[in-house]
Amino acid sequence: MSLRDWRPRGPYPPAPSPVRGGGGDGWPAPLPRALGRGVPGRVLPDFTLYAALVRAQVSAQLQYRGSFVVQAVGQFLATFVDFITLVFLFQRFPSIAGWTLGEVAFLYGLGGLAFGISDLLCGGFDGLSKMIRLGTFDRVLTRPVGTFAQVLAGDVQIRRLGRIVQGMVTLGLAVSWVEVAWTAPKVAVLVSAVVAGVVIFTAIWVIGAAITFWTVETSEVTNVFTYGGEALVSYPMPIYAEGLRRFFTFVVPLVFVSYLPALYILEKADPLGLPPVLQLCSPIVAVVFLLVARFCWALGVRHYQGTGS
Amino acid sequence: MRLYWELARYGFRRTAIYRSAALSGAITNTFFGFLRAYTFIALFQTRGEVGGYVLADALAFTFITQGMAALIALWAWWPIAETVQTGQVASDLSRPYDYQFAWLAQDYGRALFQLVARSVPPFVVGMIAFGITVPTDPLIWLAIIPSIVLAVAVSFGWRFILNLTTFWWIDQRGIANTSMLVATLFSGFLVPLAMWPDGVREVVYALPFASMVAIPIDVFLGKLQGVDLVAALALQAFWAVVLLALGRLVLSAALHKLVVQGG
Amino acid sequence: MIESTDLRKSFRVHKRESDGPLRFIRRQAVDVEAVAGVSFTVGAGEMIGYVGPNGAGKSTTIKMLTGILQPSGGRVRVAGLDPARQRLEVAKRIGVVFGQRSQLWWDLPLQDSFELLRHIYRVPAEAYRQRLAYLIELLELGSFLETPVRQLSLGQRMRGDLTASLLHAPPVLFLDEPSIGLDVVAKARIRELLARINRDQGVTILLTTHDMADIERLCSRMLIIDHGRVIYDGGLETIREQYGDERTVVVDLAEEAPPLDVPHATVTRTDGPRQWLRFRRTETTAAEVISSVAATARLRDLTIEEPAIEDIVRGIYERGDRRVASGGRNN
Repeated sequence: MSLRDWRPRGPYPPAPSPVRGGGGDGWPAPLPRALGRGVPGRVLPDFTLYAALVRAQVSAQLQYRGSFVVQAVGQFLATFVDFITLVFLFQRFPSIAGWTLGEVAFLYGLGGLAFGISDLLCGGFDGLSKMIRLGTFDRVLTRPVGTFAQVLAGDVQIRRLGRIVQGMVTLGLAVSWVEVAWTAPKVAVLVSAVVAGVVIFTAIWVIGAAITFWTVETSEVTNVFTYGGEALVSYPMPIYAEGLRRFFTFVVPLVFVSYLPALYILEKADPLGLPPVLQLCSPIVAVVFLLVARFCWALGVRHYQGTGS
Repeated sequence: MRLYWELARYGFRRTAIYRSAALSGAITNTFFGFLRAYTFIALFQTRGEVGGYVLADALAFTFITQGMAALIALWAWWPIAETVQTGQVASDLSRPYDYQFAWLAQDYGRALFQLVARSVPPFVVGMIAFGITVPTDPLIWLAIIPSIVLAVAVSFGWRFILNLTTFWWIDQRGIANTSMLVATLFSGFLVPLAMWPDGVREVVYALPFASMVAIPIDVFLGKLQGVDLVAALALQAFWAVVLLALGRLVLSAALHKLVVQGG
Repeated sequence: MIESTDLRKSFRVHKRESDGPLRFIRRQAVDVEAVAGVSFTVGAGEMIGYVGPNGAGKSTTIKMLTGILQPSGGRVRVAGLDPARQRLEVAKRIGVVFGQRSQLWWDLPLQDSFELLRHIYRVPAEAYRQRLAYLIELLELGSFLETPVRQLSLGQRMRGDLTASLLHAPPVLFLDEPSIGLDVVAKARIRELLARINRDQGVTILLTTHDMADIERLCSRMLIIDHGRVIYDGGLETIREQYGDERTVVVDLAEEAPPLDVPHATVTRTDGPRQWLRFRRTETTAAEVISSVAATARLRDLTIEEPAIEDIVRGIYERGDRRVASGGRNN
């Protein structure tokens, strides 16, 4: 169709009225005030949108298939090397704080898997600092989607599958090395522990990113809690000094990622004397912690809107 | 000679501007030091000594390795590869001084900064928190300096060759990952080589990676005395020479490729 | 459609003491008022230009109108809603184009960016299809729909950005320097699109630009902002009559001479053998001025300058009146 014989197909379609009260033309009816300032109006996440955004990124990354494979394999090996050192150590030392190689490997695999999945999902938060510096966060604010959701969907790197696979492999090895009397509740606890772990690590990424609204530069301190956190949960909690233990129980609840669920599944006694019911509480703690993180995020966005970049 | 001194200073300054990165890196290293220290404390409750290491050695090992990571640049050192990718390498190569030694001089400048900014703080923290001590034997202090100097040279030789592979494979990420793994594992960074299984340990010790980390640490901890000490330093020197010489070979091959294909 | 009442925005800037040992510890907090009481109303279907020198507060105003920044004071309504408190609802009703920053996904084909935006704005499939076809025709996007955005030229990318901002048929469109860096052809295309959608679809448009030609061709009304305040709000004719008509011919004479006496032109400045002659297009032409000069002195070289926005603004200040009383609206 050339421009010469182009004719508009009738009037430009009216703006879709996404909410009640809005007509096609003229001013939409004023809407009831959204919940508070700075708190996104949407409560239920829009999964189709998230899926669409993720799919686009994944397909773009898969274009470089060779590079993806190399990097994923490299990541697998890198994290596997860490595991090998664990095995080496246990050639010389019989146990650590009463935990055998298989049991420690269980902690290691659980923590690694949870962290790996969160690492895959949360790349966007890592990139927030760049978005603020380059001014691309402004664009996020002009879109009719919550800022949290947009940043979450912003950077999914499939090469991080390498770490996830390694976590699964290690966990699988651990389970084969340890005699576990599997019951339905234990399986449920295992699955919920992984999910809870992902949520807890995600919350840490979010809080770290929220701090960036004030500091602009990425804080390496976040890495201490994410990568450092993963290393921490790979060993039984009793080996750490009391201050560290308390911090990672009550402030950043990493104890719920691997140690407590492992106590339940492996039926081990807890020298720390925490109430046994806590071993089942990972999901609740994770949700609460995530809410805290979301609150920090909302504060951060509000600060950004107050002071600009 | 004066020129190389200037290059070293340049390397120092170039690294020194990233002050906040150095600080944050030191914080991360220190945290990991703590984690590994606690691990060793718990492990050594089951056994008093492994491969000549007691708990005090293991604790010192932890904080020293955390401090050395930046010094030896085991990970992520790609400025040469970047100059190849940007094309700047062409002008670098036409400079009137030796290309490899110029980079080596800069690397020493960088290493000096990292020594001060990244190696000392974790060790000091380790001293305060875990009571690790500096060696009192003057011979150790005498030996540690050449050991570190050689360790940097060995590490540089290795990194130099790795960077030059960009001439053949533009995207060096695959090489980067594998080399980091290999170096980290076999240098005795994660687990002291002394604790490795017998048989495997001897072989790994002979590899150049041990000369980058394991040997200087063993010197510092006083594990190498007399003949062993001299032999270890000699091994470091050997690898330094071999890797640098190999690097020059690779460089001339790369130049040949550059000339033939017009880069 | 857009209402701004005494809109204000202050930023707290920390300045260090310039010298002395307290330099690293004590920092003064200074409040900088970027927008100091801006009031205007834009009715549905209007297309207005929003101009001002750099640092005048244009971007800050736009950011407050689009929900990026929260005002420090005053009141703002876009399509009847408060951008700060009802960000999501306002976002559905506005389109925003930033000239310097694309909203398209860099690695993906242009088409895919549009698809993603369809999801983000929840545009019904049929409406999307029709609208996209309309815009593709108008902006001639057909040839590069499949190309990754990073491979597009600036002009192509800007057309893509414009399309992207209109996919959800917003009743209000904000443009921040859309034609910056574009060649003449590309600019013409953009202008045609803007004129079309404003005329045919009644889209309200607020256009920020440094290019007077954009304003002249498209806008019936202009707001000038300087130092955070609106100093002119009115029709273009008035501005044109009073200030926009002036041009300056810069002549390089063979040797230094006293200020030339040229009919209908005034010498505003001399610098050695170079003289700046200002004249009005309504009174004389560049050709006449040049030939007058050539008749009275030896002319070596010359250039012709158009009035920059800065000059117009300065001109307004020089004339002493901050609001031009005649022609167009004012506050």
